[in-house]
Amino acid sequence: MIYVDNITKEFKKTIKQPGLLGSFKSLFNPKTEKIKAVDGISFHVPKGEILGFIGPNGAGKSTVIKMLTGILTPSSGTCSIDGRIPQKDRKNYVREIGVVFGQRTQLWWDLPLTETYAVLKEIYEVEDSAYKRKMELLNEVLDLQDFIKSPVRTLSLGQRMRADIAASLLHSPKVLFLDEPTIGLDVVVKDNIRRAIAQINAEEKTTVILTTHDLSDIELLADRIVMIDKGRNVFDGTVGELKQNYGQMRELNFELQRAEDKALLDYGKHFGLGEDDLKVISDGVNVTVRFNSELVPVGDMLSYTLSQVHLSDISVKDADIEEIIRRLYKKEVRIDA
Amino acid sequence: MLKEIKRLLKMHRIFIAQDLKKLMEYKVDFLTGMLGFIVYQTINLIFLWVIFSNIPALKGWTYEQIIFIYGFSLLPKGIDHLFFDQLWNVGYSYISRGDFDKYLTRPLNPLFTVIVERFQVDALGELIVGVALMASTVGSVSIQWSVLNVILFLLIVPFATLIYTGIKIITTAVAFWTKRSGQITHVFYLVNDFAKYPTTIYNDVIRNVITYIIPFAFTAFYPASYFLTGENPLFNLGGTVVAAAVLMTVGVLLWNKGMSVYESAGS
Repeated sequence: MIYVDNITKEFKKTIKQPGLLGSFKSLFNPKTEKIKAVDGISFHVPKGEILGFIGPNGAGKSTVIKMLTGILTPSSGTCSIDGRIPQKDRKNYVREIGVVFGQRTQLWWDLPLTETYAVLKEIYEVEDSAYKRKMELLNEVLDLQDFIKSPVRTLSLGQRMRADIAASLLHSPKVLFLDEPTIGLDVVVKDNIRRAIAQINAEEKTTVILTTHDLSDIELLADRIVMIDKGRNVFDGTVGELKQNYGQMRELNFELQRAEDKALLDYGKHFGLGEDDLKVISDGVNVTVRFNSELVPVGDMLSYTLSQVHLSDISVKDADIEEIIRRLYKKEVRIDA
Repeated sequence: MLKEIKRLLKMHRIFIAQDLKKLMEYKVDFLTGMLGFIVYQTINLIFLWVIFSNIPALKGWTYEQIIFIYGFSLLPKGIDHLFFDQLWNVGYSYISRGDFDKYLTRPLNPLFTVIVERFQVDALGELIVGVALMASTVGSVSIQWSVLNVILFLLIVPFATLIYTGIKIITTAVAFWTKRSGQITHVFYLVNDFAKYPTTIYNDVIRNVITYIIPFAFTAFYPASYFLTGENPLFNLGGTVVAAAVLMTVGVLLWNKGMSVYESAGS
């Protein structure tokens, strides 16, 4: 369905010297350098899949999305949807896609929401009957009826985001691009939007590419993750594979009956674990032990702890996707992708 | 092709309707704009009147003839302002802020959408003043309103309008490289004030600039002088058509090249 093949994007950046004098200098003798925002990214998304496209700020996510939506022209490499290339056949290409940029709106700011939908209907040449059916469905999944008659400028962020998502789906696109659709929203609205995305995906087989910094979006929606950093692919696989590959670090939390018992525990020496595989944090009677469960099974960890000290409480935490991704972003985990 | 044009015209009507609805949301803003324009034009006319009450004619042009040229100059300017005003915003902010993105994700020609998206009702002030000024000279200037001349008049005004639009497309497209070009458009527009008066009153440099380089003289003085004198139709009217065609062609080519280097903005 969507093929991205070794795509790159370079931006020319003028190096400004500081101060007013420097600005004048760079006006007449500009020094430019080339910045590779995207440096050879490839992935493939089959029809009907929800792909979580993630990476730290400045990784090049938006640049890739903008190339895929035909806004930017790639410096090299190709992307295509159903064999269509956005830069060659823009008009037919964009008919197949819906785009939501969370930080921008495509709604007519000064007019009631219904007006935007009426114009989009004409722009995308949606048939009357199809339009009516679609509006009913979108109304139902996104709860638009409360504010559909209000001018867009009076909508809250949550309402505006729902309205924008509806606007992007009006023409039944085959692919929906969502760039940070839950940014700045409260839990209830986030939940509503996630359910809507899941429902549209299930009912219409719409392929979804989703970028977000909210990893719950990814856990709840994404079939697969593509992670990029500094313009390159870092990981491509399912959430399960991510946990399997990078989720060996487990966390043991317990509360000691007597704080001074801490001296009795020496995990490093007992199991022979190095710094990379073990981290012990303690605060009074509360102790947190992060360890590599591939080297030391959870059971061994538990029995050693219980044999050494008396506890009033204990819990073991599973590999948390958020923790894994935090570690990937901070390069704590080596990547062999 | 015909179907495509029909569709574009329909979209144009829809965009105009959207803007009229918007107008109803901001009535005070609209009325203030109209009032401002009428005050501005009145001051201009008082200025002209003061000059001409001391000088009966200027380099062979009578007061009434100059009023006709002045009035004529407001027609293409007003029509361009009325229908094709959104380009200003593109040069001033849409490209630098990345708001241009939305035009690229819709199945409509981006240049077309940008050009017609805004219906600037303020421009009616220019058109009303322009028509009123020309009407006021009826009887005091000798124009042969033959059928041919009426047809030529109706044909030449759109071409004169396209000179404005073409220049605006070119200066706006520069923003794809420079990120902002509203000021460039503005500088070019300042030159159009020269076009309201006979070019014969200027020195060679100014006359050549507004004839051959930024051909605003073809939006008013040259075509108007044809109707006033009947002289040189090939240069006075033909020049307008050629200037419009050249500027629009250069504009569209530059715009298309510009879209491929558009960089959007980080989000």
